[in-house]
Amino acid sequence: MILWWIGDMVLLVVILPVVVYLLKGVLDAAKSIVPSVDEIAKTARAGSKDLDAAALLLTTQDEVKQTVAVVADYGGSLDVILDDAR
Amino acid sequence: MAVYALAAAGAVTIVAVALIVLALVFYLVSTIVALRKITAGLDEVIAGVGEIVEKSAPVNGVVTTINEQLDAGVELLEGLLVKKAGMADALGLVDGLYPGAAAAGFRAFPDSTTTEVPRIGEVYTLGTLTLARLGREAPIAAASPEGPVLRNPAYASAAARGLYPEVRQTHPASLPKSPVIGTGAPVQYEQREDIGAPRKRLPGRTVLAEPHPEGAGGSGSGAPGSGGEPEQGNGSPDETIRWTRGGERE
Repeated sequence: MILWWIGDMVLLVVILPVVVYLLKGVLDAAKSIVPSVDEIAKTARAGSKDLDAAALLLTTQDEVKQTVAVVADYGGSLDVILDDAR
Repeated sequence: MAVYALAAAGAVTIVAVALIVLALVFYLVSTIVALRKITAGLDEVIAGVGEIVEKSAPVNGVVTTINEQLDAGVELLEGLLVKKAGMADALGLVDGLYPGAAAAGFRAFPDSTTTEVPRIGEVYTLGTLTLARLGREAPIAAASPEGPVLRNPAYASAAARGLYPEVRQTHPASLPKSPVIGTGAPVQYEQREDIGAPRKRLPGRTVLAEPHPEGAGGSGSGAPGSGGEPEQGNGSPDETIRWTRGGERE
């Protein structure tokens, strides 16, 4: 009978607080992840929006090709009209 | 008595277990709700990251192509500069325009990093450098179109003076004297016979404003200057110029 009462006391005084403490820790950790995930989602959306201008790189590529072609034409002309170094 | 004590101990046990179960239910359900929120947030993250991956997929190839084009342009310009100005002068020109840039050298010329760079920028101004690099046909090189290279690293200032079409820098024994000007000058600027002679009488000019209706057929207008034109005389100083109608001299 005494052992039973001791067991009850251990259950109420030790086991129950430990269980509550551990579960509360898990819950707090899970809740702390939620705002972080929201921020990550917001950042991912912003990053995706920033990359909308990536398509303009194709225009930049064409412009660079044309510019280099013009520079090559000028260089060819200068190569003809200027003397080489002696 | 013992039965009551046994029943009380069992009741306490049941209450304790019930409390533990309630705590488990409460916290586990709360944890499940939080994990569901996390799952929903991660779904948004995955969607955003997927868009990023999709949009940035062609960037690597495009940027690589752009870099190749720019590298080709740089190699072209560097090669042209080295070909026309020589390695040392090309590095000196680049270093004169962008101080310290010669230390990196040219991409297509690995030996350019070990070349001694002349201090062109300290001798020539930017405009002089530009003209000098235009070649022997540039105005600055008109004095010595067949001379040596435009810049001498050891005597750069003397070489710079030699670029100008001027004889003073050659230190001649005698320079042409300055011209004598004035009335006593041996060479007059205007060699005319009438210079120094008595001044001639200036011709007078008269304008007749009266109309001459009986005159030769003109336009009919009596206003001066409307039908005729001033007519000069035969060149004598005393001749009077009269206004005529219809070109008729008075």
